[in-house]
Amino acid sequence: MAESLLSRVVVPVAGPDDAAATCEVAVPHVAAAGGSLTAVYVVEKAGGAIDKASVEQREEFAEEAFEAVRSACNGADVDCSTEIVFGTDVVDAILDFGRDTDASAIVFSPRRGSRWLDLLSGNLSAKLVKQADRPVIVFPSDGEEE
Amino acid sequence: MSEQELAKDLGPLAALTIGVGTMIGAGIFVLPGPAVARVGPLVAVAFVLGGAIALLTALSASELGTAMPKAGGAYYYINHALGPLFGSIAGWANWMGLAFASAFYMYGFGQYVGEFLSVPGVEIGLLSLPPAKVIALFGAGFFVAVNYVGAKETGRLQNIIVVTLVLILAGFTLVGTFNADLSTLRPIAPFGYSPLLPTTGLIFVSFLGFVQITSVAEEIKDPGRNLPRAVIGSVLIVTVIYALVLVVLLAVVETPVVANNETAVVDVARMLAGPAGAALLLFGGLLATASSANASILASSRINFAMGRDGIVTAWLNEVHERFATPYRSIAVTGLFILVFIVFGDVETLATAGSVLHLLIYGLLNVALIVMREVNPPTYQPDYEVPLYPFTPVVGAIVSFALIGFIEPIVILLSVAFVVFAVLWYFFYARERSKTTGVASTALRRLQAGPETTQTAAPTPDGGTYRVLVPLAHPDHVDDLMTLGGAIGKANEGTVVAVHIVTVPDQTSLSYAAEHTEKFDLATGDTLDRAEAKADELGVDVETHTIFSHRAFEEVFDAARTHDADTVVMGWGKSEHGSPGRAESAIDELAHDLPADFLVLKDRGLDNSRILVPTAGGPDSDLSAVVARILADEYGSRVSLLHVAEDEETGQEFLEGWARSHDLEDAERIVRVDADIESAIKEEAEDATLLIVGATEKGLLSRLVRGSLVMDVLDEVSCSVLLAETKSERSFWRRLLG
Repeated sequence: MAESLLSRVVVPVAGPDDAAATCEVAVPHVAAAGGSLTAVYVVEKAGGAIDKASVEQREEFAEEAFEAVRSACNGADVDCSTEIVFGTDVVDAILDFGRDTDASAIVFSPRRGSRWLDLLSGNLSAKLVKQADRPVIVFPSDGEEE
Repeated sequence: MSEQELAKDLGPLAALTIGVGTMIGAGIFVLPGPAVARVGPLVAVAFVLGGAIALLTALSASELGTAMPKAGGAYYYINHALGPLFGSIAGWANWMGLAFASAFYMYGFGQYVGEFLSVPGVEIGLLSLPPAKVIALFGAGFFVAVNYVGAKETGRLQNIIVVTLVLILAGFTLVGTFNADLSTLRPIAPFGYSPLLPTTGLIFVSFLGFVQITSVAEEIKDPGRNLPRAVIGSVLIVTVIYALVLVVLLAVVETPVVANNETAVVDVARMLAGPAGAALLLFGGLLATASSANASILASSRINFAMGRDGIVTAWLNEVHERFATPYRSIAVTGLFILVFIVFGDVETLATAGSVLHLLIYGLLNVALIVMREVNPPTYQPDYEVPLYPFTPVVGAIVSFALIGFIEPIVILLSVAFVVFAVLWYFFYARERSKTTGVASTALRRLQAGPETTQTAAPTPDGGTYRVLVPLAHPDHVDDLMTLGGAIGKANEGTVVAVHIVTVPDQTSLSYAAEHTEKFDLATGDTLDRAEAKADELGVDVETHTIFSHRAFEEVFDAARTHDADTVVMGWGKSEHGSPGRAESAIDELAHDLPADFLVLKDRGLDNSRILVPTAGGPDSDLSAVVARILADEYGSRVSLLHVAEDEETGQEFLEGWARSHDLEDAERIVRVDADIESAIKEEAEDATLLIVGATEKGLLSRLVRGSLVMDVLDEVSCSVLLAETKSERSFWRRLLG
């Protein structure tokens, strides 16, 4: 029998709010499929120039996001792990991580930000879907406008 | 590439260009006009003098930076060494100093843009903004916005920009040399020598770049080597560039042409090489001032983060943006300061304010170095050491503070007011909230506190020379830890040093705690009495000490070093030794460089009757074997060895050899032929009472402390677990450098 798409999912998180919102919609599905979940936070590096924020600062921020993931997973009895990865390109880093951990799928829930924000921060969702080498599952966010 | 390597991606050249790029903007493109107006051709001497003063501090910053490669650089070292009062002064001075410097660079940027773009001045009520200021405001707004949304492309241009600038300036110097007329340099000092030092104070803002390097020290590859090279190298390089360019500048034209000329290099280039030369230097000026401002804005967010981490400013300031992953509030607040400074300042005020605040930091930085050297805490292990200590930092501190005295009285007054503000800030805000204690005050308290509560030097052992340190925090675990530690001490005919570490809240002084023990820990006498009783029962020599500390976890390592311990037996759990402070990387460094063999007990009620030792060979399993042997001899424990192998035969062969060489031939041998080590350990541990696990890799302890240990087995077994990690052997490199 083919393994479930939700058996080992990788969930990229952008921060505590994003993590909570994504887990809220994704964790019940993963729990129902009896899968496990790995949250990943990418620390975007400038690649030989000054970063936009301190590495340690973003690691702390990632920890806050992971707390949200853990509490959502513990509540639903889903096995979860967390990982901080570094990369000059966020999407590449997420996909590489999915490959390294042999994820069954990459799961996210797009934030309904404005077009304007998408433009400024680079529309990562679209890029992720385009370049993916494994299934990408997009759960509609039931969150309100930010 | 490991994650650690990816996190640190600033190579030697990148680190160097941050410094050089930040400095060149001010010294060459903005300041020659005002400086020459004050001292004439002597200006080259002022720049060399400034470079020499900066170099002294650069040496100190290099040593501190290799010992503490942390975000926040200069501020962090001062706060760490001198405590939160000076930390408040240094933090605010560093932050505002960078904001003033950024405003100054942007003002210069405005002057250069004004060369080819005519912008009207603006009158708002009483405020009249000349064209340069209007452009500066727009420019600053633009760079703040770019960093608010976090375009990483800005930084990538840094190397290209700096190489381009150096080439342009080299060309300028070369062409200028052929057209030089040395007679224009005379008189060298048309206004006498008295303006020399005030001018040095004014142009000192040209030497701030190396502070920006230290601010991003956490991102530098191999900081032990690259940080000193970048910091010292950048100061030397720009000093040479400044001296050459200025001498050429004044040798090509008469002094009055340069004096008070906002864009002197452009006019001189026009004389030398026509419009093309002027365009090149104009382009250089734009690049240089813009990149200086950009690096300073980025560096200031690191200062904010470090201040927030230490509790000197509110955490609110350091919130990270979910979409941009930038410290957006810090950038915005800094940007606001920059805009205000541009509106109300002129070039000279902005330059001198930037200079004064940084001189303050440089002075304190040298004092911080002296404190770190004198106190010499065990975690202070710089890869680079200042030459001619203590001469270098002492002179560095004196000249930095002294130069402040030569700057405009009004600016000095402002800086005094600023320091008063920072001190008040400490008393009314940071004092209650600060999470750190300076190395200096900890050392002073140790000196002041009575002999009963602390120890200065390691007492002479009255037992053997072997010393087992048992840090005690929780009264419930005293017996168990002493049972283990006592057995090890006894087997080695040594002494057990029982240390009761009492955690004192940060806001309480340690000496107060020592006088009011009952308030902090009722059980300190009890704990040590029980430890002594246990030691007597075993018949092993024992010493007891109490240590009051703000940071219990770090204190374990301190005590291990001061007592020259061979083995440390400590408990680990929620109630033991508090959890370490938030500076995880510091803990990493501590726990990575173990001063003794460490045995960490996850105590679920100690019972020595049936011990399980999983082994795959290696030095840490040697330690497990030694401990198992000792316990078996002392308490008659039954030892089982577990090895996971490809097949039964090789497994048995390995275990037989291992048992023989570790004097454990009487132990039961279990070979498991399944791939998964963890589940094998889990199953075999079911009928064991104590599991002794050797660290499989370096830094196990530090990962355990941080809770990131990927060995679920520790939590899944129901017996007590003893983790063993051997003393760190100093690497070849470390030994080489002492």
